[in-house]
Amino acid sequence: MASLESEASREIESIRRAQQGDSGAFGPLVERHQQRIFSIVFHLVRRRDEVEDLAQEIFFKAFRAIRSYNFQSSFATWLSRIAVNHCYDYLRKVRASRISYYSEMTEESARELERKLESPQPQGLDHGEKITLRDFVGRLLARAPADDRVILTLKELEDFSVEEIAGLLNLKSSTVKVRLHRARKRMLEDLGRWRQEGK
Amino acid sequence: MDCKAIRDLVTDLRGGELSAEAREHLSKCAGCGGFLREARLVHAGFCALAEEAAPEASLGFASRVVRRLEEWEEKGARREFFETVGRRFVYATLALTLALLLSLVLPTSGPVRGVAGTDFLGLQTNSQSSQPDVIGGDIGDSHDWIPGRLPD
Repeated sequence: MASLESEASREIESIRRAQQGDSGAFGPLVERHQQRIFSIVFHLVRRRDEVEDLAQEIFFKAFRAIRSYNFQSSFATWLSRIAVNHCYDYLRKVRASRISYYSEMTEESARELERKLESPQPQGLDHGEKITLRDFVGRLLARAPADDRVILTLKELEDFSVEEIAGLLNLKSSTVKVRLHRARKRMLEDLGRWRQEGK
Repeated sequence: MDCKAIRDLVTDLRGGELSAEAREHLSKCAGCGGFLREARLVHAGFCALAEEAAPEASLGFASRVVRRLEEWEEKGARREFFETVGRRFVYATLALTLALLLSLVLPTSGPVRGVAGTDFLGLQTNSQSSQPDVIGGDIGDSHDWIPGRLPD
């Protein structure tokens, strides 16, 4: 408990020094939050080779804007907000992939996978099936509009609560719920279209 | 429950259980049954994706960020000076160009611009100078005046 408090006070001290222009004081803040930022960037962008460069840009942006941090939200939330906005801009620039996953998945294996998923909590998926599923939803996400991709990733992959997402995106919780529902629905509708394209 | 209500339920189901009423509808409706299978496939895909670990920051990542910030700070003051000076130079040039364009485009006489304006540019013509002054009447012999000779 005491160590948590001292860690928090060290963080506040580092933030205050960074706000006065001390870039050296920003180093411990980067070290403390880098894995969280890497996770957000990786799940949003899904390109391992881009993660580090994007994370560096995010921390650079954060340092330049650190004077605007007013301790109202946690530093982690403030930093995550910058990361989400930065990735959002990146996603809007990158064109979506339009490759059909059905070309790489036989009808038999697709049916076998669907059978295993009939129970609400599927068990017994082997490594290969998990890779296929990852690839499949990864491509579905790549086809989705940037807004849908961001909100779905924050909820389904980063496991943020509706309230946390509302804080990150500056939205009301009720708006987040509606947008999540619409994004999921659009994704399912797109899957239907995707199947038609693959046939 | 109709198909729309069932699909709304299924959309947000994720790993949850369905009510008996919904299950009954799904057992009879092939379209909604297919929709449920798709939703489960997507949910399982999200679970598989979430399990995938993000790459770790490479060794010295934080130091590289700090070094980049220090370099930026060093260059920052110089760059800011040149940016400010450059911006002011551009604004001044634009303002001057605009003034010159206006002086060329606007008519040399009329309600917007009078004699004083043409004097400024040295564009006053002979025909204009010989015209009578509207307020003061004829300006007399001024048009006969020869430089270097005093009027009689």
